[in-house]
Amino acid sequence: MPDRRRRGLGGGAAAIVLASTLAGCGSDESGPPTLTWYINPDSGGQASIAEACTDDAGGRYTIDTEVLPRDAAGQREQLIRRLAAEDSSIDIMSLDPPFVPEFAEAGFLAPVPEDLQERTTGGVVQGAVDGATWNDEIVAVPFWANTQVLWYRLSVVEAAGLDMTQPVTWEQIVEVAEEQGVLIGAQGARAESLTVWVNALIESAGGHIIEQNADAPEDIELGLDTEAGQRAAEVMRLVADSDAAGAAFSTENEDASATGFEGDNGGFQVNYPFVYPRAVETVGQELADDYGAAVYPRVDADTPAAPPLGGIDLGVGAYSENVDIAFEAVECIRSEENQIAYFISDGNPASLASAFDDPEVLDKFPMAPVIRESLELAAPRPQSPYYSEITGGIQASYHSPASVGPQTAADATEFITAVLAGEQLL
Amino acid sequence: MSQTTLPPAEKTQPVSAPHGTISDRAKAERKLGWMLAGPAFFVMLAVTAYPILQATYDSLFSYRLTDPDNRSFNGLTNYWVILTDELWWKSLGVTMLITVVTVAVELVLGFALAMVMAKALRAIRPVIRAAILIPYAVITVVSAFAWQFAFDINTGFVNSWFAWLPGVASDTDWFGGTGTSLFVICLAEIWKTTPFISLLLLAGLAQVPEVLQEAAKVDGATWWQRLWKVTLPNMKAAIMVALLFRTLDAFRVFDSIFVMTNGANSTESVSFLAYRQTISRLEIGLGSAVSVLLFICVMLLAAVFIKGFKVDLASARGE
Amino acid sequence: MSRKEKTWWWVAGIAILVYCLFPIAWIVSVSFKPPADLNSGGFLPDNATFDNYRTILTGNAKDLFRPALRNSFGICLIATAISCLLSMFAAYAIARLDFPGKKLILSTALVVAIFPVISIVTPLFNVWRQIGLYDTWLGLIIPYLSLTLPISIWTMSAFFREIPWEMEQAAQVDGATTWQAFRKVIVPLAAPGVFTTAIIAFFIAWNDFVYGISLTSTDAARPVPAALGLFSGASQFEDPTGAIAAAAVIVTIPVVVLVLLFQRRIVAGLTNGAVKG
Repeated sequence: MPDRRRRGLGGGAAAIVLASTLAGCGSDESGPPTLTWYINPDSGGQASIAEACTDDAGGRYTIDTEVLPRDAAGQREQLIRRLAAEDSSIDIMSLDPPFVPEFAEAGFLAPVPEDLQERTTGGVVQGAVDGATWNDEIVAVPFWANTQVLWYRLSVVEAAGLDMTQPVTWEQIVEVAEEQGVLIGAQGARAESLTVWVNALIESAGGHIIEQNADAPEDIELGLDTEAGQRAAEVMRLVADSDAAGAAFSTENEDASATGFEGDNGGFQVNYPFVYPRAVETVGQELADDYGAAVYPRVDADTPAAPPLGGIDLGVGAYSENVDIAFEAVECIRSEENQIAYFISDGNPASLASAFDDPEVLDKFPMAPVIRESLELAAPRPQSPYYSEITGGIQASYHSPASVGPQTAADATEFITAVLAGEQLL
Repeated sequence: MSQTTLPPAEKTQPVSAPHGTISDRAKAERKLGWMLAGPAFFVMLAVTAYPILQATYDSLFSYRLTDPDNRSFNGLTNYWVILTDELWWKSLGVTMLITVVTVAVELVLGFALAMVMAKALRAIRPVIRAAILIPYAVITVVSAFAWQFAFDINTGFVNSWFAWLPGVASDTDWFGGTGTSLFVICLAEIWKTTPFISLLLLAGLAQVPEVLQEAAKVDGATWWQRLWKVTLPNMKAAIMVALLFRTLDAFRVFDSIFVMTNGANSTESVSFLAYRQTISRLEIGLGSAVSVLLFICVMLLAAVFIKGFKVDLASARGE
Repeated sequence: MSRKEKTWWWVAGIAILVYCLFPIAWIVSVSFKPPADLNSGGFLPDNATFDNYRTILTGNAKDLFRPALRNSFGICLIATAISCLLSMFAAYAIARLDFPGKKLILSTALVVAIFPVISIVTPLFNVWRQIGLYDTWLGLIIPYLSLTLPISIWTMSAFFREIPWEMEQAAQVDGATTWQAFRKVIVPLAAPGVFTTAIIAFFIAWNDFVYGISLTSTDAARPVPAALGLFSGASQFEDPTGAIAAAAVIVTIPVVVLVLLFQRRIVAGLTNGAVKG
């Protein structure tokens, strides 16, 4: 019964959307709409952008922000629960790219108008465009794009005589770190960041977590138990098992990696750009001057690395009563000016390649060119409407990283396939 | 959070018409009784009975919230999937371990606290009583964060303070393994709920007749003998009620695990498993089945206590 | 009591104090730590600061924390009031009147008290979103009643049993109806018991986490425990340890105040039946 009722409501909601869109053309009685933008927590940058765009709109619309939970999975849960209820109060949402296919497939995203698709993908780094695409269709608008780079302490590589102008491999940095008695920071905690790492390793080795997508979840073909997958597992274990892994490696998140790197025995870390302004602010410029950045470590010396891709896409809720105006606001939010401001204020890199040439950006992030290069190389996490099961399965199977072995890939494949088929709990 | 009190024992007989004679007055009383108690009764029923029935119904379907069109009846398949899954039994084991450990420690520790409070000097009694209520009243999530920050390898002080203990070092990663994670979770639970148990036991201590204690003393019984032969048997009711409610409360542990480990390192409780299926995975069918199984477990436990240990709350009230 | 014995009771008493207050002292200490002190490994901050409180009260997180605090207070107080009102009537009937179904009501209260919240939250969520109660105050108040009603009924019936009922009979002899006797005589006598029950019910509603995270999604109804998961550090990837600690301290203040003011009553409320039985 709830089923039938939902569908009935769906039809009703669609009719209301249509009616209000039509009405929007004819009359202006109801005053300017207030758009609600669901944002991921940040240090206030998105709220400032919302204000700026409200001012720019000259009274056509007002943007209010609502904050989502801190972790990616929590953000998805909260949005989906509201969207499944066909909630019209969600106008704009900040989406983690891996969840875009699920939202698109469930019909939660209003289609991006053709002209806007072109305007919002021109000059955007390729990884960010890929992340906003599902079934060869742009379904969301890239806002900012994140990537991890390899951070190293200049003093450490100097002492070890490691040439960081050339690409380095995981094996190399583990060797140097052990020799110098310093730490390698990576995210070994059981969280989304673990999938980010696994994916980057597999992609760097030339493989993919999903080899073959399928409509039915149980038919999805995983690429974990392949040559590339095995290489990835080997590297993971090598790092986690080495003396260079921190004592709390199995609970290490981005924050803990940054903390370890700031310490006396910081050596290397793979992490997002936020670590640099953080070092400047909480410890001091002296430490930050010892920070160097290079492209993500390679798995194989001869294959370019595929660094992790993160960031945020903007989606417009399918049940919003102001779809057209919401897209207008989205275009304002993702403007070059706002992307640059956000890069500077919150340390989250732009998706527009041109933003990296901005003098203020270069001043705050001297390593901006490395970040841009990394974004061009970056590979998104697997795209699937069942991403949450896949990442959950990977987190369960590849944790703790030190326990990963030759059998892990096969076990994970079996486990995730069973979960997708509804034969096992997660 | 523990949320109970001992049932009041029979004190005064209701002053009402004798059973059997339906006078106008008895009828009026009956009507008034339901008028007064009815709203509370129906609210309780509405917010629990309806949802659990709905959950039972949902548990017979394969139903994903994001894919309502493919909702289909699949009978008891969900239950079969769960009961043949190692994860269910693991979570059940973890839940039972947490329950047994916390309740056992709380009972002993709570008894010690109650003894101190019973004997404590008049000067510090109110201070102790106020202090002991604080863990009880603090939000579970707050307590979980406090303990997590204390044991965390970066923010904590435990490693630097207790490095002299065997097994603790400056780089002990408490949340990196199953055993140590469960240890901290149990510690937080014990800290928070022992005061409640100790208050119930304190009340039970007050029920032990002083005369019996004195008589045993005269007979030359040692302190230990008096404890086992006089004190404990006389407060059996209080112990049983405390045990019943804390066990059922501990069995539903969720908040601390959510905050401290988020289920990593096999620290998932049954409640957490249900949460993950329904709220995170949006698998309403499968998740509802876990919820129903959890409900059945709790009811079985309660039945064991009430029938097996004869903790009959309703009749203890003389109804 | 000998001097030595006295000393030991003092030691034991102080041990209890430390046990109860130490974790609270710790979270207070964390809440005063600046980011640079968080990872120092020490108990106390080296350079204590109010920055964390500023962040949640007037700074970045104010739009998250202040509405959450308002929601927590509003929702918990209303839920407490409703549950006290309902259980006052129910407890009176149970303690005083003779009617069939009394045992049913008590057993129901028992079952509801041990109900696993997680089992009912998903069906509630589904119903709430269909009838528009999702993310509203009422949408939390109703489930909170399932937490507070059973204990309120018990505690209050325990108190009601101690009321000198002869006075009610006397009033009835003087010509008052049952209802008048209840209102004019019993209510004033029962007030302390009702007040104590209200405090305990408030603690329980205040403690809720599962309903808070599952049935809300905006600052329209989100209570503080759920809001703790939404704080952000200096950037998206940094842990908001200081902000969480400060918020934790603020939500602990009301319960500590209640405990300090009404400790005797609360203890009596929690143990009433056993002490007086």
